[in-house]
Amino acid sequence: MKLANDSRFLLDPHRRDVPGRHRMRTYPAGEEVDLVVVGAGAGGTTLAQRLARRGWRIVMLEAGPFWDPDEDWVSDEAGSHRLYWTEPRIIGGGDPVELGKNNSGRGVGGSMVHYAGYCPRFHPSDFLVRTEDDVAADWPISYDELKPHYEELEAELPVAGQHWPWGDPHRYPHRPHPITGGAEAAWRGARELGIEFRVGPVGIANGQFGNRPHCIYRGFCLQGCKVGAKASPLVTHLPDALAHGVEVRADAMATQVEVDARGRATGVTYFRDGAESFQRAAAVAVAGYSIESPRLLLHSVSSRFPHGLGNGNDLVGRGVMVQGAPQVAGRFPDTMRMYKAPPPEISSEEFYETDPGRGFARGFSIQTVSPLPIAWAEHVLADGHWGQALREYMRDYNHWYVLGALCELLPRAENRVTLADATDRTGMPIARMDYTQCDNDRANIAYARQKMTDILHAAGAQDVLTIDRYAHLVGGCPMGTSPENSVVDADHRVWETPNVFVTDGSVMPTQGSANPALTIMALASRLASRLGGR
Amino acid sequence: MVHAFSDADHLPNRRPDGQPASPERLPRQRRGVTPQMHGRYPDFDAMSQQEHWDDATRTMVVSRVDQVPPIRFFTKDEAIALGILLDLALAQDREPRVPVLALVDAKLLEGKLDGFQHDDMPPDPETWRQVAAGLDATAVQHGFEAFRVAPTGVQEQIVGAFAAGELHGRVWDELPCAKAWGVVMRGALSEFYSHPWAWNEIGFGGPAYPRGYAVLGPGGREPWEGEGALDVDPVTDVRERGLE
Repeated sequence: MKLANDSRFLLDPHRRDVPGRHRMRTYPAGEEVDLVVVGAGAGGTTLAQRLARRGWRIVMLEAGPFWDPDEDWVSDEAGSHRLYWTEPRIIGGGDPVELGKNNSGRGVGGSMVHYAGYCPRFHPSDFLVRTEDDVAADWPISYDELKPHYEELEAELPVAGQHWPWGDPHRYPHRPHPITGGAEAAWRGARELGIEFRVGPVGIANGQFGNRPHCIYRGFCLQGCKVGAKASPLVTHLPDALAHGVEVRADAMATQVEVDARGRATGVTYFRDGAESFQRAAAVAVAGYSIESPRLLLHSVSSRFPHGLGNGNDLVGRGVMVQGAPQVAGRFPDTMRMYKAPPPEISSEEFYETDPGRGFARGFSIQTVSPLPIAWAEHVLADGHWGQALREYMRDYNHWYVLGALCELLPRAENRVTLADATDRTGMPIARMDYTQCDNDRANIAYARQKMTDILHAAGAQDVLTIDRYAHLVGGCPMGTSPENSVVDADHRVWETPNVFVTDGSVMPTQGSANPALTIMALASRLASRLGGR
Repeated sequence: MVHAFSDADHLPNRRPDGQPASPERLPRQRRGVTPQMHGRYPDFDAMSQQEHWDDATRTMVVSRVDQVPPIRFFTKDEAIALGILLDLALAQDREPRVPVLALVDAKLLEGKLDGFQHDDMPPDPETWRQVAAGLDATAVQHGFEAFRVAPTGVQEQIVGAFAAGELHGRVWDELPCAKAWGVVMRGALSEFYSHPWAWNEIGFGGPAYPRGYAVLGPGGREPWEGEGALDVDPVTDVRERGLE
């Protein structure tokens, strides 16, 4: 496939700082650009790269820093704190979701900078869950509309893995990476039970790919890839975007989308260096993800839209979702040293679709996790151990291997992002996220936890430890077929303000059992192809 | 006693009393430092590998070990109570100790937060202070003037109840106990297991850029990675290798 994206060739083979950063185009204050994008993550950067190639003049506002991986990132777990969104946020509800390092990014490249690297597609069934499973909502678009964009993105990241037998079966452009002893053991246990696994799919080059280096199996994917082997927008789309005239304004916190008397957006107000500025634009793309996008829309109040932008039907922030992500660790006679190699090694989508025999709708996928010591300590603590018992399990670290599930939890209107009373340093109200599971969610998580435990026992595990947790925020500004059931239409336009788009994971009506990064990029790519040239 | 760690009978879940085997059975660390000087990889010292680390990582990790910050966020009384709590929660019963309290104090002083706060909890820095006050209040319920003067057995009992989410009365009527335990332990474990001494104890390779890894299979190790020492007899091994 010929790619309309030269990022891989634009990278510097000897340094990780993004070429073009210091000579990028800048737009003078007061000049109206074609598009201002809020958030330089998976959705925002992919959209900017595509549209810049079609002649759009674009400014991106990013709340966090413009990273130089050589200088700013470390091969260290605690030292990677800056990669996460750690500004205050309130969590509540019956099953509160911990935010921060697990699910929230900050800085150019977004949370893909510290995602594990799994890049599965959604299944065709994900787009029809109301029709086929009588839960949640159908998407206003079909799998077939995203498929060409999945294929393009898999070539651009690139994705490595074995031939994929689940969902819409497909091949990957790069061959699978080698796997560790722990993954071999887990796979062996799965085979005993008749459960299929495959290697991948991961957004980590495994072969020649422009100037992108090969993976060195360092194991610090969640701490930012200093190597540059793992895909994130910083290496996959930003270099090409800069080469086509995009300006990235880092450390710029958007606080309000402004509208004129006719109800059209005129640009974005943002804070940078302690001062307020305004970027005028013909259109606005909000890509701050499932907490910050609803927060920005809710805070964008005006006499025309007193309840916030796109919120005339009280839907902004609703339906925010996470995946249930229980993890089960197994102990083996051999040392496995799971800190080596990228944590995402093998995965199974055998349980992805609804099986009426299980007693709940939809399903889950099983992946590999490989926590570093701090995350492993949290796992041991969650199983109820402290003091000498915790130290003993920690000393045993090298004998363990960890499986993790991604359970599709259903969207619920009462699960919502709202504005709290407290404000941040810009004076903007901080976000609050309330979350409570439903019975279907609990049944799904319990089943997945048991299935992983069975696999590890079949693999010969001598002991197991379990932690219940969540992964992957999506939803909050769902796309749909009418203003009564959604915040944006099938082309990501806010129903009430057609020159405002939401172009991140918050538009997803459901989340499947797949890691969302690839789908977020594919959605942005599809939108760009529909918007066309300038 | 020689213990082959291919077995798992040292692990709490595998033992009738649910308690781990005593760490006293482990060898003393021979290279570098581990917390309390016992560990499973007595000849592995992560800090000896620093010439293989990139500059940004080396600067950060070396300063973590070399520059122990003074206590500035906590008051003297809070520091004493919380120091006892952390020693028990992390089983640091003698020197050398990873200076967890000082590292937590520095993080709170800098205002480094984790990105979320439960709606029924104060901000994390305030939670730490209230935990200190809560430990003292519970010690008073047990008939002692403060947590720090209670006998070790009572302190352990209080920490056990804290871990189980079962402290009640006074401070704990306002502060959800289980969530406060989560705040304290999240902070404590992050500092303890980011310290190279703890990496030595558990045989974690530490920073791995730009060197990376080559040996990924079961039972494999890079030439520089620590060997699990208790597969050999520590007494004869030390003698044979002239390490005494």
